[in-house]
Amino acid sequence: MTSWLGLAPTGARRLLLAALLTGVGAPAQAQAPREATAVSIVLGAEPTIPVPAFSSSKQNVDAASLIFLPLARLNRKLETTAERSFEPLLARSWSRRDSLTLVFELDPRARWHDGVPVTSRDVVFSLTRFRDTTVSRTYALLLRDLAAVTADGPHRVVVSFRRPYPEQLFDAVHHVWPLPAHLLDSVPPARLTTAAFVSRPIGSGPFRWGRLEPGRLVELVANPEFFLGKPGVDRVLLLVVRAAEAQLNLMLDGTADAFEAFLVPNQITPLVQDPSLRLVTQPSLGVGYLLFNQKALGDRSKPHPILSDPAVRRAIALGIDRPNLIRSVFGPYATVVDGPMGQASWIRRIAPKQPGANPAAARRLLAERGWRDTDGDGIVDKGGVPLSLRLAYPGSSLPRVSTAEPIQEMLRRIGVRIELVRLDGPVWFERRSRGEFDIDYSQAVLDPTPSGLVQSWSCAGIGGSNVAHVCDPAFDAALTRAIGATDDPARHWREAIGVLQSTQPAVFLYSPVQSIVLRTRLRRVTTRPDLPWADLWRWTVDPAPRAAR
Amino acid sequence: MSRWLLRRLVDAVVTFLLVAVLVFVLMRLAPGDPLDRLTEDRPMAPAEQARLRTLFGLDQPLGTQFVRFAEAAVRGDFGASIEYYPTRVTDLVTSRLGPSLLLGFTVLLVNLIGGVWLGVLQARRRGSRLDRWLTRLSLAGYAAPSFWLGWMLVSLFAIKWRLLPAAQMTDPLLPPDAGWLSRAADVGAHLILPAVTLSIVSLAATMRYQRSAMLEVLRLDFVFAARARGLSERRVIWRHAWRNALFPILTLLGLWLPILVTGAVFVEQVFNWPGLGSLTAGAVMTRDYPVLMATALLVAAAVLISGILTDLAHRWLDPRTRDG
Repeated sequence: MTSWLGLAPTGARRLLLAALLTGVGAPAQAQAPREATAVSIVLGAEPTIPVPAFSSSKQNVDAASLIFLPLARLNRKLETTAERSFEPLLARSWSRRDSLTLVFELDPRARWHDGVPVTSRDVVFSLTRFRDTTVSRTYALLLRDLAAVTADGPHRVVVSFRRPYPEQLFDAVHHVWPLPAHLLDSVPPARLTTAAFVSRPIGSGPFRWGRLEPGRLVELVANPEFFLGKPGVDRVLLLVVRAAEAQLNLMLDGTADAFEAFLVPNQITPLVQDPSLRLVTQPSLGVGYLLFNQKALGDRSKPHPILSDPAVRRAIALGIDRPNLIRSVFGPYATVVDGPMGQASWIRRIAPKQPGANPAAARRLLAERGWRDTDGDGIVDKGGVPLSLRLAYPGSSLPRVSTAEPIQEMLRRIGVRIELVRLDGPVWFERRSRGEFDIDYSQAVLDPTPSGLVQSWSCAGIGGSNVAHVCDPAFDAALTRAIGATDDPARHWREAIGVLQSTQPAVFLYSPVQSIVLRTRLRRVTTRPDLPWADLWRWTVDPAPRAAR
Repeated sequence: MSRWLLRRLVDAVVTFLLVAVLVFVLMRLAPGDPLDRLTEDRPMAPAEQARLRTLFGLDQPLGTQFVRFAEAAVRGDFGASIEYYPTRVTDLVTSRLGPSLLLGFTVLLVNLIGGVWLGVLQARRRGSRLDRWLTRLSLAGYAAPSFWLGWMLVSLFAIKWRLLPAAQMTDPLLPPDAGWLSRAADVGAHLILPAVTLSIVSLAATMRYQRSAMLEVLRLDFVFAARARGLSERRVIWRHAWRNALFPILTLLGLWLPILVTGAVFVEQVFNWPGLGSLTAGAVMTRDYPVLMATALLVAAAVLISGILTDLAHRWLDPRTRDG
């Protein structure tokens, strides 16, 4: 008997055969006993802080929306002023005592996952803590119109406001969700968001914290005593997958059941071709924009030498052909926006339109301000200083990476030199927070309410989210009027956005479509633009076997 | 022997200390503050930021920070992770070590068995069509970037043909009460594509080294003598020639050994393999200094130990290397 590829006929050949059999046999065995009533969701990062209001990161908000409940929730159209269409959750009802007072009746059936009843003490504790600036400046700013929160018996909470305005209910229920006072009131306010509670949260929602495998997954288990009904899904597995391609691959190979992201056409094509998947698209609250720094780098007390001039900012905006730029990257999966508001924001419908691209007008505007190309190098200059700016963006963001170079080229045509500064995530964030940029390519998921604009675009936001030091008293006044407007609020908001646009603090580029990919075995699926998985407890799973690998 | 070993150990300790200092200093010189990253994620009062800065020793001069780190590290305490606070770094590293070792051992095994066998086969059939094709294939495998190779294998075997899982180490939907056989089979299925990806690149090198070493040895007189004594070809190859062609492979093995610990960052990311490579990559992104130090030192230790082990193996197998 001749040797087979040089192998001894016995030992080594058997070894090879065994290895082959193991390799081929393993997947066949692995696909057999998959759990039918569990749902796996792909997240882009680890939910290390899955507590509402403790973190604004998407993965944490997604996880928190399964573990905790708010008093009430906005309708799916995200109409922040439509009080009657809010969905009651921990509060079974609410009423008005007067224009300054809301009274919430808590559902007496609600329990924390450790069995302790949810009471008015929890609501008072949570809202009071987050109005404290030592806990969070941002939340203190968002809750600035709340005058007092008091308990009136174990299941009644009275919230008083400083002034009448249409979003009182939204402010009382949206920003801060009740947390268990019996577990957290002994934690010093400043240490609340770093307390041990964060790593094993006790909520009041449909799913309990199960376990965390760092870097791999978080397991949530259905809460059978959930007072609004037993969840239709037994377990939720939040898979931590950082690489974008691996996220999509886990949907395509049948491992994961659900995934949500801002996707671009070449990512969407294979997903829609897979018969075991369906794609749900809906407007998002995300916005991408070029933020102009209004202060000098290094000395925040001085104006930016170039960008403090609104005419230069306007010229840059006129130099960018936004519709073509957005279409080339997103195809139909994003729309051009005219202000800091996502597609899902109700205010977007009433915002004034921004002028389209007009390079000739942009060059004229620059020339009027003394920026001319005196040395024939194609770049305008003034007093010997070329109009050269640095555009900073994180290298991990596909939309921003894809659009940065076209923006550079468009601005070169109007005589503005843009140096692209592609940064590592933490470095980009650090420089952004410290205001160390000329133009920052930002992308944010905004609040459903336009009153959230106070964080990044008003003088009050300086020192917090307003990293570019945008400060226009006229806009602040218009914003205050719009927030408080009870008659024709749309008119006031249109006026406020118009004032913001007139100072051109940024070039508002796009709002992506939110793409939610779901396996077809998931039934009774409803999703929301703000919290895609919040209604997952209402979903059911087809008990038929899963698609074989 | 003992003097030689002592000298090698002293060298290794000095190198290890140099690596520790270098990594520690470079990491802190790099832009990006880990606590800024934390505040990106959660609202945090300045007082709490200051408390955490003190807790992680980031408010101290660099020298003091290093001394504190070294004192604790000697006790095996790398502190708490900044990103996963308050989880201990040792817990994080331990949880990732298993997957890394599994992937690394598999790759090493494939290398040793497959690479050596194919290299010997090529040498025996030098100049044949098989030799030429194996040379072409091995060079192609060596030249292919591992992440690209990974994507190609995933798109074919996981997505197009659905034979194997595309990523993860286990199926998240395997029931909690699944038996050990199902679990082992599940891990085995998930292991195939990352192991094959890493192996293709490293296998090529092993084959090339083994082929060259065997060709050198096959020309030597004792091989002719063995054949002249009428020994079977298999005995000549494996008992006589191969043993003498083992040294380059030992050296190569020493270079591959650190893979056991570190895995490969790109491959772990492509396959979402929860090993030390992806932990390190995540720690770089979040500037998690304690985790980065622990993984960097682990890699340094793996490299130094494998170097010593390789030298020891050389001295044991070849008495000529014991002089000097």
